[in-house]
Amino acid sequence: MDRDLPNSSCEQSIRSSSENPAEDSLSPETLASLRSLVITPSTPDTTISSIFQTLTRSLQLSRDPLVLHHTLKLLSDLASYRPSLSSSVSELVRSHALLSSDSTRLAAESLDVLASIAEREGTPVDLDDRSFVSLCFGPSVSVRSWLLRNAERFRIGPHVLLTTFLGFTRDPYPYVRKTALDGLVGLSKPSVVEDLDMIQACYCRAVELLLDTEDYVRSAAVRAVSAWGLMLVAFNLKTKLYWSDNLFVKLCSMGRDMSMEVRVEAFDALGKIEIVSVDILLQTLSKRVLGTTKEMGSFGQCPAAEVERSASSVAGVLVHGLEDEFYEVRKSTCHSLRTLTIISAEFSEKALNLLMDVLNDDSMFVRLQALETMLHMATYGLLKVQGTHMHMFLGSLMDGNMSISSATRKILKLVKLPNLETFKLSVDGLIDNLERHPQDEADIFSVLFHIGRNHGKYGVSIINEVFEEMEPPSEGKLGFDTARVAALLVLAISAPLSHGQHACNIPPIIFSYAVTLLGRISVALTDVMNQDTLLAYLSQCSRSTRFSAMEFNLREDKPHLPAVTIASLSHSSNEINSTVGSPFQQGEDGAANLQYQAIREPMEVASLHFGYPLEVQDEVIRSMNLILAKVKDIWPLIQSGFTNEVLRVLRSFKEELATFASGSLRFVGDVAFALQYLQVVKQLAKVWEHFLPARKLCSGMGELDIALGKLETSLREMRSRFTGLSLKQELQILELLLLTFTLRLSKVESCCQVASLKKLSTTASHVESILKLGSIEPSNFMSEVSKLSYLTRTSSFGAPCDPFLFKELLKYFSLEQFVVFGTIGHIKAELVVPDNDAENHLPFVPRLPVGIPCEITLHNICSENKVWVRMTMDDESTQFVFLDLDHFGSSDEVRKFTYVVPFYRIPSALSFILRICIGMECSFEDVPSVKRYGGPDRELTYLCQEKEVHLSMVGEH
Amino acid sequence: MAIECLVLGAGQQVGKSCVVVSMNGKRIMFDCGMDMAYHDHRRHPDFSRISEYGDFDKALTCIVITHFHLDHIGALPYFTEVCGYRGPIYMTYPTKALAPSMLEDYRKVMVERRGEEEQFTSEHIVECMKKVIAVDVKQTVQVDKDLMIRAYYAGHVLGAAMFYTKVGDSAIVYTGDYNMTPDRHLGAAQIDRLQLDLLITESTYATTIRDSKYGREAEFLKAVHKCVLGGGKVLIPTFALGRAQELCILLEDYWERMNLKIPIYFSSGLTMQANMYYKMLISWTSQKVKETYSTRNAFDFKHVLNFDRSMISAPGPCVLFATPGWISGGFSLEVFKQWAPSEMNLITLPGYCAAGTIGHKLMSGKPSKIDLDKDTQLDVRCQIHQLSFSPHTDAKGIMDLVKFLSPKHVILVHGEKPKMATLKGRIYSELGIRCDDPANNETVCIPSTHHVEVGASNTFIRSSLNPNFNFSKMSSEDESDSRLKDGKFMPWLQVKDERAAEGILVEEKGKRAKIVHLDEFLLMLGEKKHDIRFAYCFPINTDNLEDTKSTDVSSSSNALSVSGRSSWLPMLYIKLSDELSGGNIQYFGEQIQVESFSVSLCLKDRCPYRIVDSPPNKCEAVFFCCAWSIADEKLAWKIISILENRNYGTL
Repeated sequence: MDRDLPNSSCEQSIRSSSENPAEDSLSPETLASLRSLVITPSTPDTTISSIFQTLTRSLQLSRDPLVLHHTLKLLSDLASYRPSLSSSVSELVRSHALLSSDSTRLAAESLDVLASIAEREGTPVDLDDRSFVSLCFGPSVSVRSWLLRNAERFRIGPHVLLTTFLGFTRDPYPYVRKTALDGLVGLSKPSVVEDLDMIQACYCRAVELLLDTEDYVRSAAVRAVSAWGLMLVAFNLKTKLYWSDNLFVKLCSMGRDMSMEVRVEAFDALGKIEIVSVDILLQTLSKRVLGTTKEMGSFGQCPAAEVERSASSVAGVLVHGLEDEFYEVRKSTCHSLRTLTIISAEFSEKALNLLMDVLNDDSMFVRLQALETMLHMATYGLLKVQGTHMHMFLGSLMDGNMSISSATRKILKLVKLPNLETFKLSVDGLIDNLERHPQDEADIFSVLFHIGRNHGKYGVSIINEVFEEMEPPSEGKLGFDTARVAALLVLAISAPLSHGQHACNIPPIIFSYAVTLLGRISVALTDVMNQDTLLAYLSQCSRSTRFSAMEFNLREDKPHLPAVTIASLSHSSNEINSTVGSPFQQGEDGAANLQYQAIREPMEVASLHFGYPLEVQDEVIRSMNLILAKVKDIWPLIQSGFTNEVLRVLRSFKEELATFASGSLRFVGDVAFALQYLQVVKQLAKVWEHFLPARKLCSGMGELDIALGKLETSLREMRSRFTGLSLKQELQILELLLLTFTLRLSKVESCCQVASLKKLSTTASHVESILKLGSIEPSNFMSEVSKLSYLTRTSSFGAPCDPFLFKELLKYFSLEQFVVFGTIGHIKAELVVPDNDAENHLPFVPRLPVGIPCEITLHNICSENKVWVRMTMDDESTQFVFLDLDHFGSSDEVRKFTYVVPFYRIPSALSFILRICIGMECSFEDVPSVKRYGGPDRELTYLCQEKEVHLSMVGEH
Repeated sequence: MAIECLVLGAGQQVGKSCVVVSMNGKRIMFDCGMDMAYHDHRRHPDFSRISEYGDFDKALTCIVITHFHLDHIGALPYFTEVCGYRGPIYMTYPTKALAPSMLEDYRKVMVERRGEEEQFTSEHIVECMKKVIAVDVKQTVQVDKDLMIRAYYAGHVLGAAMFYTKVGDSAIVYTGDYNMTPDRHLGAAQIDRLQLDLLITESTYATTIRDSKYGREAEFLKAVHKCVLGGGKVLIPTFALGRAQELCILLEDYWERMNLKIPIYFSSGLTMQANMYYKMLISWTSQKVKETYSTRNAFDFKHVLNFDRSMISAPGPCVLFATPGWISGGFSLEVFKQWAPSEMNLITLPGYCAAGTIGHKLMSGKPSKIDLDKDTQLDVRCQIHQLSFSPHTDAKGIMDLVKFLSPKHVILVHGEKPKMATLKGRIYSELGIRCDDPANNETVCIPSTHHVEVGASNTFIRSSLNPNFNFSKMSSEDESDSRLKDGKFMPWLQVKDERAAEGILVEEKGKRAKIVHLDEFLLMLGEKKHDIRFAYCFPINTDNLEDTKSTDVSSSSNALSVSGRSSWLPMLYIKLSDELSGGNIQYFGEQIQVESFSVSLCLKDRCPYRIVDSPPNKCEAVFFCCAWSIADEKLAWKIISILENRNYGTL
């Protein structure tokens, strides 16, 4: 094989060094070539073993630390690339390097080699405690911190580790101190340390380091103080409060550190404290030192000066945290309030005043965290909202950010409002919210329902005030479509389910009105009842609320209880709810159960009905569209050449999208489509770089051609590998293709002008034909391109067009936003050749065809598609096999089958590797036909990753 | 070497900041401000105290200016161009950019409006700024071989900085004005934990403690929102730089979130120009502004439009920012006259308004009529909202900074005398740091760190490279008194690493001082290591030993034989073993050993270690001699007290 040629020189050098043992040091060049041999999988075993011998000699004889370092590195590579050699490598390193070397650095490096081999094999490294400690005590600082960092890998006894770590917190080198502290944090488990003195020693040492000059040491010290402080708190019930207070004060004193990281750590740690004296806690909300803190005795028998010092370090620390310059700190403070508010009701009331103001923060993350903390408080019944809060609180309903307003609504569902005034404000706020964001209707209805049920009395009094408003106008037409009336109806129907007997005061006619909104309401109330039940409930109430109030048998202690059967339910509900999907209909005859479920997360209930979470799907599509909208916005960045920024932003979008893919199976296609689109935009950004004015022409046309080629391929995949695309979407893809061709044509130096021109004109005519079909307005760019392509078509054919004309066209282009609707299917295939890998080969008999058993899964491929299996050998000779889909399953969505693919062109070799892949013919007119004997007629789009199949002659494996 | 601090201005007053610090032969002037309250020579610092003969170039190494406010920079052109200082001047880039327009404004007001004598001309300002060297935050500048300065972010106004100054081993920080809490457009002061001899800090709000700014912001937004919802107009009189940007960012953010469409106007002029400065100097703004800068410059106000005079009487709600802040004249007064009579409108007032201005009149109570001049009276029916956003740190912030830096000494300037005294007391009592609040023209001398450069022997260096920590356990008798040392809890187990402390400083005549390792030192001296041991010889009343002695020995107790004497030690051993819990007690026949403590019978008649010569009853006492090394002193006295049958602690 020709691959062996460059290697031969290395082998010579190995041989020469083995022939000449006196020459024990290897040159850097030799080492480099050895490495390339080691990492190449095809290097024959004999070469490898001679490399191993060379390295062994080098390790034994060399004195040069640099050579030894490289030798060790190579041995480590050798062990990782050739698992069979790892035990000999490990033995060699253990016997020579570790023991004989007098350099701690080298010893540490050999330890690293040993440890990584051992980790791969899942066996422990047998390093005894004493050698570990003595290595730590060596003079090299870097080795010391490496050892401390990696101590876990060597399974050193925890007690030895503990003393070592504790000792090294005294090291003059800050980095060692930090590592030692981090190590201590890892050991702060009751299972490791039982000795009170030890815990106190570690805690106090960490406390001392809170005053370190280096930020990162302080930050590690805060973690250590928190970890060991909590140990100390848990140690003894009697001293629990004392130590908890002590720890709390220590952590508070770091809340005003100048380093942001330290502050974040401090506030994170504060959130872990579960008990603390109330007066200290209250002091954190006031920058002034309060009288009570001065007088109290919970600081133990400390002298007065110390109490004052503690009080002043605690003073207002949470206020400072909430108004910090860095949103990370503010967020962490909000989070820590979740646990702290549980400690004291008085504290939680005061903290709430602050939290309400935080809703005005400029960072969305902080506002969201504040709302989450409030939700947490509400679930613990600590959220005492007052009139003064309402402006801020309801303001966040109006927040432009979806997640903020939806978090606010979640809180409203649970909150207990103190009086009618605040209740009215809330209802008005919700109605306002509904009018501005009709897309959130379901969520808002649900909140109204809950809030009405939680405050039955207030709800009734509002409804009675505005009853006339809800009456239909005199013509007799039911006009409940205004958002306000709909919202009030929802509020009204919740009343009978509330605690009291106020329901009687709701005019029954309102329930009949509500029936007209049955579909919309039932979507909102999936967490409470299904549509049939709702209808039954409404019709019952419309006859007589008195009756229902009795019948519903509501108990005071458990108001939202239990199933009550309502008889005789007309089936006509089906006609009313025709706007809503069918899953709500349960198909039961005659009667339905009013299944009143106690407050449940809507998602949970929805998933009962659908088998997948309802909220999530809307959320997913919405979020995806949000991201896609943002993609549109980066077009100016691409144009102005901020390629790196664009790539970074795209990467973050991609990560965001990827989270959806893992969440719901239903939108896999849409997610894949969006990802593919991001890929296209990325490639477009890279291509655009070449079209920036500042870019020199000499950048290499090859580079541009490759980039354009990639872009075209990605676009083609986008066009061919998805089903359920709307005309609009297809047009958008075609527009991008047009752009690609235009870009290619507008570069003078670009090759294949004629072919590109042809592609451009076919694509343009395709665009025209689509435009004729629908009522879609063409973009400026499209119309300009079709004008130009018409010109070139009609002018004397064959003459290459002026690149500058095409360049002019680029001005018209701008990215349009893709919108997904959850309808896209992803055409893809999975291909598995069972029981075949580098170890297990398929047998073949020379000169006879071989059958390769393939387990194939095809997604979203219909029978019209022409699917091929492509098999390629190392010499690029290719064979195609057609898959007749009619034979394999009837469903278009998923076909799963096993098929034995015949391969005829068996080479005359002992063994070979076949790369196998599934492709689908593109059916687009702009794709050139390929004339291949026995192969596909058109260009293939590949639907899966290439698989390697290992074959070897019978009797050879 | 001492650090000398001459306070030329802002000593026990707010105004004309100017402090001259002499350290290790260098003399630095911090700030060169003027006092706006005076119109005679008192408005400038008394420069003659720096140099009698006016030779300022020799007398000063450099000038450092913290920010562009006139009480910090106002006297600079006068000092350089009129008094003739030609040395270097340091300030941050934004200060350098903004100072000329501030100075020019001031000059115009003084000369053109009030017709005063000119202190300096426009050319002077230009010439003066040419001497300025601009620095960046955290940039270390070597002024000369010995003097190093470094600016730290101070908040307060755009470009404000604190300055760290180091000459030799003496280091100080001069803060200028600073803010420890961030606002919407500027960050909080930020500094490293430095080793300082002296901290000179402002103390404008030496006793004020401010609540969270969130509440004030929420109130402001609520008032503005209410007013515009009701169709009213909001007038926000501000000065061009600082508050206007902060409030505008606040409103923009709120407008964005609440999706409000009501226009916000900036009256043309300096404010728009100031916004431009902010846009350029984005790295000096708050974290939030910096973070969002890549997507949107926070000073590119989306909702802000330029205001035209004709719009004053246009119908419909709006918000207008107009200068000057105190409604003392200019555009804000013009608008005020038009808008004040309507109840629907709202006027916000800055936290502080100079006496005599309309702002001040509005602040004091809620007047229904205001006299604009002798003949004109204005009905004021609009709502008034007072803002209290201050760019200065409060007392809590000062304490926090002092605590974080923990300097050896603090000097307070730029504050009111009685309040400064209170703060001074707090700094001393809570932090234990000495603090001064000198008056103008006073000099404070404080001692400074002085390091000696020494060589180090190889053995010493090697020994400091290797870790050498050891653990010490406090012995149990320390329990009662010293576990809470200085109010701090001390654990039983402590860890020490004394590798650096083990060196010995050797100063030989004519040679450079050197640190050597302990072993080397002995070698150098040719001496052996000596241990200090304490010795004590004391009588033990034999009656006391009776309790533990067996009867056959007691029978011959009045005639002590040599053989009788030898039985005393085992008895002591038993007694000690009983009473001394823990500790490694060993009995070697001739003596008893506990750690380094040893005790044996004293057979001498005249023992040099004997303090009590004659016991009360000679025949009943036996003398014992004991010795110990210093490490076990407490243990030794405890054993002795056991042996003497006394309670420990009565010694």
